[in-house]
Amino acid sequence: MEMNSKEVLSVDSLRIGYGSGKNENALLPPLNASANFGELIAVIGRNGIGKSTLLRTLTGLQQPLAGDIFYYWKNIRDYTRIELAQKVGYISTEIVKVSNMRVYDLVSLGRFPHTNWIGKVEMRDHEVILDALKKTSMTSFAQKFVSELSDGERQKAMIARILAQDTGIMVMDEPTAFLDVASKYEILHLMHLLSGSGTKTIIFSTHELQMAISQADKIWLILENELIEGAPEDLMLAGEFDHLFDSSTVIFNSGDGTFSFRSDTRGAIHLEGEGNKRYWTEKAINRAGFKVTKEKTLPFILLPTESNFFWQLVSENEVQKFKSLYELIGYLSNSAIGII
Amino acid sequence: MKTSEQTDTATVKLSGRKVNLIFTSLFMLLALFLILDIFLGSVSIRPSEVLNAFFTNSHNGFQTIVLKFRLPKAITALLVGIALSLSGLQMQTVFRNPMAGPYVLGISSGASLGVAFVILGFSATITPDSLTGLGNWILVAASWLGAGAVMLLIMVISSRVKDIMTVLILGIMLSSGISAVVTIMQYFSNETMLKAYVIWTMGSLGNLTVSQLNVLLISVSAGIILSLFSSKMLNALLLGENYAGSIGLNVKFARAVIFICTSILAGSVTAFCGPIGFIGIAVPHIVRILFKTSDHKILIPGTILMGGAVMLASDILSQLPGSETVLPINAVTSLIGIPVVIWVILRNRKYSGSF
Repeated sequence: MEMNSKEVLSVDSLRIGYGSGKNENALLPPLNASANFGELIAVIGRNGIGKSTLLRTLTGLQQPLAGDIFYYWKNIRDYTRIELAQKVGYISTEIVKVSNMRVYDLVSLGRFPHTNWIGKVEMRDHEVILDALKKTSMTSFAQKFVSELSDGERQKAMIARILAQDTGIMVMDEPTAFLDVASKYEILHLMHLLSGSGTKTIIFSTHELQMAISQADKIWLILENELIEGAPEDLMLAGEFDHLFDSSTVIFNSGDGTFSFRSDTRGAIHLEGEGNKRYWTEKAINRAGFKVTKEKTLPFILLPTESNFFWQLVSENEVQKFKSLYELIGYLSNSAIGII
Repeated sequence: MKTSEQTDTATVKLSGRKVNLIFTSLFMLLALFLILDIFLGSVSIRPSEVLNAFFTNSHNGFQTIVLKFRLPKAITALLVGIALSLSGLQMQTVFRNPMAGPYVLGISSGASLGVAFVILGFSATITPDSLTGLGNWILVAASWLGAGAVMLLIMVISSRVKDIMTVLILGIMLSSGISAVVTIMQYFSNETMLKAYVIWTMGSLGNLTVSQLNVLLISVSAGIILSLFSSKMLNALLLGENYAGSIGLNVKFARAVIFICTSILAGSVTAFCGPIGFIGIAVPHIVRILFKTSDHKILIPGTILMGGAVMLASDILSQLPGSETVLPINAVTSLIGIPVVIWVILRNRKYSGSF
C-alpha cells in the first residue's frame, strides 16, 4: 500500500451489515475509501442504502462483517474503547432529551475519555470545554438547559461536545437533517471552519446534494454496487450523480448541479436579454415545460430592461406585457399557443 | 472575549456554592429526622430519658426501648431509604425512563418471590424473625436473585420496546404474574409459614434482628460504593447507548455493574423489610428538581441524603407521634411517593420521552 502521510482513515474491503454466520445480512459489496487530514467529506446515497450503518461501523459502535478500518495507520480492532474515543467523535440523528442537563454538562461529557474514574472536570478540561463553547458560539448558552434549546442550538451544543472530546476525526450522521435553512447553513459553515482550519477531519452523511457539492472536499458516493470517492467536481464530470436518480423522472443537470423533472417539452422559445433576469426567466420557462432556444421564434420573449419594466411576449401581430414572471408563466402554461 | 470567559467560570463556581448549600441543608435535615425518629415514638419518653439511655447505664425500660428498638429501627429506615432511592435513580437512568423504580417495575416483586421460596418453600422453621447468621445471607441471596431475574427481563423488554409507558405496563403485568405465583405457593404452604410470609409482606422497619441489620448494613454499603463508582458511567448513559459508546463507555460492563448494584440494593431491603413502594421512584425526581442537574456526581450523594431523610420522615409519621397507633410503613411511603409520580406523569406529557 502506498503510504500517504496525510491519510487519517483508510477503509479496506469493508463489509457492513448485521448478523453473523448464516444470518449474515451484508448491506453493500466490500467498500474501499479513505480520508485525509482536514478534509470535509460528504457521504451521499439513497435512504436505506447503509450510510448510517457505515458511519456506525466507522465509529466502532458496530462490528464490521469483514474487512478493515485503519485510523492513523492502526487497525480499529487494536484500539481500546477509550483510545478510539480519543480519535473519533460521533453525532447520530438521535435527539438527546434529558431534562435538567445544562449545555455545560452536555459538553463536559465529551471529556469522558480524558477524565478520571469519577469523571471529575479538572481545570484543563474546563478550559477545553470553554474553548469548545466559544468555537461553536455557544458560550452564552452554557448554563441553559439542553431541553430549552432550539434544534439548531442543540446541534451546535452536540458539536461543542464532540469538540470537547478533542478527536481528530468527527463522524456525523445527517447533522443538518432537522434544521431550518438558516441553522443548516450555520452548522455547515461551522463544519467548514473546523475542517478548513486543518484540525478536524469531518465525515458526514447528507441528503443535500447541492450543499455537499459546493462545500465538501470529497464525496463518498454510495451506490447499490460500489462506493465511488472523489472531489465533487470529478464526480460531476464523470456523471456519477446520475446513478442516484431514477432517470425516468428526474434529470440531474451536470452543468450546474441542479435538478429538474423530466416532463414532455411543450416547445421551444427564444429569449432576448441578458444577465440575472435571463437566468431566472430561463428557469421559470423550463418549469413551464418550454426549452430555450437560440434560434429566433415567434412568439419570443423580451426581457425587462432599464427603460422597460415588463416581460413582453412578442408575436406576429401583438405584444403582451407581464408584470412578473408569475404572470408570464401563468399565461404560457394555459395557452395553447403553437410555439415550435 | 476574555471577560466573558471569566464571567462563565464565575457562574460555574457560583452554582457550585449553591450546590454545597443544598448539600449542607439536606445533611442537617437528615440529622434532624434521625434524632426526631429516636426521640419520638408510640411510647412517649422524655428527651432527658432518651439522652440518659445513650450516655448512662440505667438498665431501665426506656433504655431497652431506645437502644434495642428505636435506634435499630432508625438505622434501618436510613438504610432502606438510601437503598431504594439509589436503585430507583440508577434504574431511571439506565432505562432512560422517568417511571422506573424497584417497586413499579416489579423488581421488589421479584425479590419477594425469592423470599417466598425460602420462607414458604423450604422449612417451617425458617421465618424472617428466627433467621440468624448464614440463614440471613440465604434469604438475602434469594432476594437478590429474584430481583436480578426481573431486572434482566425488564432490560430485555426495554431494549425492544422504546415506549416508556409500555415498559411500565409490562412491569405491572410482571408484578401481577409474580404475585400469582406467590399466591399459589401460599396455597400449598402450612399455617405457620403462611403467617410469617404475610407479616413480612406488610413491610416493616422494626422487626430486624441485630444480625439481619448487619447483613443489611454490609449490603447497602456495598451498593453505595458501587453506585459512587458508577456515577461516570451513569452520566454517559444519559445520552443513550450509542453516544455513551462513542465517548468510550463499555456499555455492557456499565449495564452489568448497575444491574448488580440495583439488585443488591433493592433485593436486600425487600428481603428484610418487605416490598416498600414509591420511595425509589419519587426521591430521585425530588433530588433532580432540588439540584436542577442531571450530573450523577451530585445526584448520587443527593439521593443518599434525601432518600434517608424521606424514609426517616415516613417512619416518624407512621408512628403517629403522641398516639399509640402505628401505621404500616408502606401506606405512608405511598402517600408521599404517589403525588410525585403523578406530577412526573403529568409533566411528561409535555416533554414526552424526556426525564
